[in-house]
Amino acid sequence: MTENPRGVDAVARKVSGGGRLNRAEALTLYEQASTHLLGRLAGEARACRHPSGIVTYIIDRNVNYTNVCVARCNFCAFYRPVGSDEGYVVGFDELFRKIDETIAVGGEQLLLQGGHNPDLPLEWYEDLFRAVKARYPSFRLHALSPPEIIHLSHLSQLDVPLIIRRLMDAGLDSIPGGGAEILVDRVRRELNCYSKASTDEWLSVMRDAHRAGLRTTVTMMYGTVEHLDERIEHLMRVRELQDETGGFTAFIAWSFQPSNTKRGGTEATGVEYLRTLALARLVLDNVENLQASWVTQGGKVGQLSLSYGANDMGSVMIEENVVRAAGATFCMDELEIVRNIENAGFIPKRRNMHYDVLGDPIVRQRDVPRMTTLAEARAAGDHSVPKELVQYRARTPAGKRARAPR
Amino acid sequence: MSDEVVLEELRAGLAAGGRLDDEQLRVLASTTDLFLLGTLADDVRRARHSEATTFVRVAKVPVQRPAWREIKGQAREIRVTGVPESPEEAEAAVRVVAGAGVPVTGFALHDLLAVSGGDTAALERSLTGLRAAGLSAVSELVVERTPNPEPAVSAVVAAGLAVARVTIHEACGDARLGCVRAVAGWSLPARAVWAFAPLPRADAAAEPGAELPTGYDDVRQVALARLLVDNIDSIQVDWALHGAKLAQVALMFGADDIDALPAVDTGKLGPRRTPLEEVRRNIRAASFVPVERDGCFEDVTR
Ligand code: SF4
Repeated sequence: MTENPRGVDAVARKVSGGGRLNRAEALTLYEQASTHLLGRLAGEARACRHPSGIVTYIIDRNVNYTNVCVARCNFCAFYRPVGSDEGYVVGFDELFRKIDETIAVGGEQLLLQGGHNPDLPLEWYEDLFRAVKARYPSFRLHALSPPEIIHLSHLSQLDVPLIIRRLMDAGLDSIPGGGAEILVDRVRRELNCYSKASTDEWLSVMRDAHRAGLRTTVTMMYGTVEHLDERIEHLMRVRELQDETGGFTAFIAWSFQPSNTKRGGTEATGVEYLRTLALARLVLDNVENLQASWVTQGGKVGQLSLSYGANDMGSVMIEENVVRAAGATFCMDELEIVRNIENAGFIPKRRNMHYDVLGDPIVRQRDVPRMTTLAEARAAGDHSVPKELVQYRARTPAGKRARAPR
Repeated sequence: MSDEVVLEELRAGLAAGGRLDDEQLRVLASTTDLFLLGTLADDVRRARHSEATTFVRVAKVPVQRPAWREIKGQAREIRVTGVPESPEEAEAAVRVVAGAGVPVTGFALHDLLAVSGGDTAALERSLTGLRAAGLSAVSELVVERTPNPEPAVSAVVAAGLAVARVTIHEACGDARLGCVRAVAGWSLPARAVWAFAPLPRADAAAEPGAELPTGYDDVRQVALARLLVDNIDSIQVDWALHGAKLAQVALMFGADDIDALPAVDTGKLGPRRTPLEEVRRNIRAASFVPVERDGCFEDVTR
C-alpha cells in the first residue's frame, strides 16, 4: 500500500467504501477533516459492524488491589512508593465483600489491576484468584495488565507464557489492556514507563495471552508528549497484532488526567477526544468494539462518543481509584448508562468481557440501589494490613517490617 | 428520503434565508443524527460569525456588597448579581463598580421590573438612572420569568441600554425547545439583545442522580437555538456553569460565544493552566479562532 497523503475527500471516500487507512491517510483525516465529517465516517463504520443498533455495557467493579508501585510513571497520580504510609494492599476478605456488593447490583466480573508491588509474589495472586473462584465459581476475573505480568515475570524469574499459564490455572479469565499508554518507545521513555514495558514487550505479552486462548482489551492514553503521528503509530501497532491474533475484544482510549501527577500540564479537550475516538474506529477496522470513556470525559461527552464510533459504554464500574486520583470523579450507575444509551437512539444490553450479550438492563428487571458516587479501594486513613499477607515473603525491608509479628 | 438528501434540502433552504417549517423542526427536534444537526447549525453560525469565537472574563459582584478593587485588572465585564431591593440600591451598586473602568452589566430584567412596581414606564426610568450610574447592559432576560418580554426590552432600548443575554432558567423536556421557539418569535429591535444562552442554568446545580439532560439533548438544544433564533446574534454557552468540555463541544453545534470565564485565576487549574490559556486552547482545538471580548461584546484585542 502506498503511503502518499491524499486529499481529505479522497480519503473519506476510501474509508466509506471499506478501504483500509494507511498512516498518511489517517494523519490526513485527523489533521484536515472536520469533526462532523470524522464523526459521520466513524458512525458509518460503527453501524456497519453493529447494524442492530445495540450499545453494550458491563456491570463490573474496578478494584485496584494495591497502590504500591516501583514503576513511578510520571503521568500517574495513583501510586505510592514502597514504605509509604498511604500504601495499601486489599485483603482477601475485603475483596470478597466487594464481590458481594458487585453481585448485588448484577455484576459478574472484577477488573483487577494494581501497582507493581515488590512485596506481592506470584503465589499471592494465584491464591487470591483461587480463593475467588472457590467462593464465586462463575464470577469472572479480568485481571493484570501486561506491565503487571512483566513485573511478575521479573519478580519470579519465570517467563511470561508460564506466568500467564499459572494465572489461568488459578482462575484468570481475561487480561485488561492497561499500561499501553502510547505504544511508541520515545513516548514511553519520556513518560518513564519504558522500563515497565517497552512497546514490543507490551505487545508480546498480549500475543502470548492471545496464543494461550485469552481475550484481552487494548487501551491508549493520549494527550501527554506524543505527536499525532505517534498516536497513529499506536493504532497501527494494535491493528497489526490484531491481524495476527484476533485476540483484542475492544479498544479504549482516554485522555491523560494531569491533576496530582508529576508530569502535570493540561488535559486534551473534549473535541480532541471525539476526534481521536473517531479516528480509532476508522483505523482499527479489525477491532469489533470501541468503548466510550465517560469516566474521563464526563457523562455528556461520554454519551456523544456513541456518535463518534463507540458502540459500548464501558463499565458501570462501581469503584475506581486511578483516574480519580488524577481528578476525574464522574459516576454513572446502570440506570444512568441505560438512559444515556436510549436517549442517543440505541438499544442498551448488558454484556460480559467477551462482548456476549447477557440480556436487558438489570434495572428493568428489579430494584437496584442508585449509586451516585464511585466507591474507593480503601477508606481514607485505613492503614490496616490484611491478615493473610504474613504468609507471603516480602522482599523489601518496609514490606518485611509491616509483616513482622507484633 | 436519505439523510443526505434531507441535509442538502435543509442546507439549501437555510442558505437562501428560509426558515425551518414545523415538519422539519419536528424531525430535527428528535433526531439523533448529530452530524445533520451540527452541520446545519455550523453553516448558520459561520455565515454570521465566520470562525471567530468570542469569550469574556467576568467578575461577579453581589448587589448588596459591591466592590471591585481586587478584580479590576483581569475582568472584561463586571456583572452585578442578585436581586436589588430598590432601583436606588441597584443604582448605588452600579455607581461603585463603574469606577473600575470596565463595562458593567447587571440584574435580571424581571427583577428590575418588579422593583419598578411592574410598570414599564417606571422600568424605563429605573434603567435610565442605571445607565447614568454606569450600566452598559442588563445582564439577563430569563425566558420563563418574563412573560411579556417585548415591552420590557423596548424600555431597555429606550433607556439607551441593551440586554446582554436571554437565558432559560430550568425548563426541561419539551419546554426547553418551547423556550427557544418563544425567543425566536419575539419581535426585537436590532442589537437590543446580544446573546441567547439556550442551556438551562439550573441543570448545572442539580443533585447527583438527578435526571439531567444528556449530551445529545444539550447539543440538539444549542443547534436548534442557532437554527431558529435569527433575531439574536450570538448563541452563548457558560464556561463556569456547563464546564469546558460541553462548552467546547457546543461550539461545533452553533454556539459562538463563551460566557463567564473567571476574572480571577484561583490557581485551581494548576500553574500551567490559566483559564485564559485553557479557553483559547479549547476554542482552537474546536477549529475556531478565539477572540476576547468585553461586556459590551466589543473585541478587546483590537
Ligand atoms: S501507572 Fe501503574 S505502573 Fe505506572 S506508576 Fe501508576 S500504578 Fe505504577
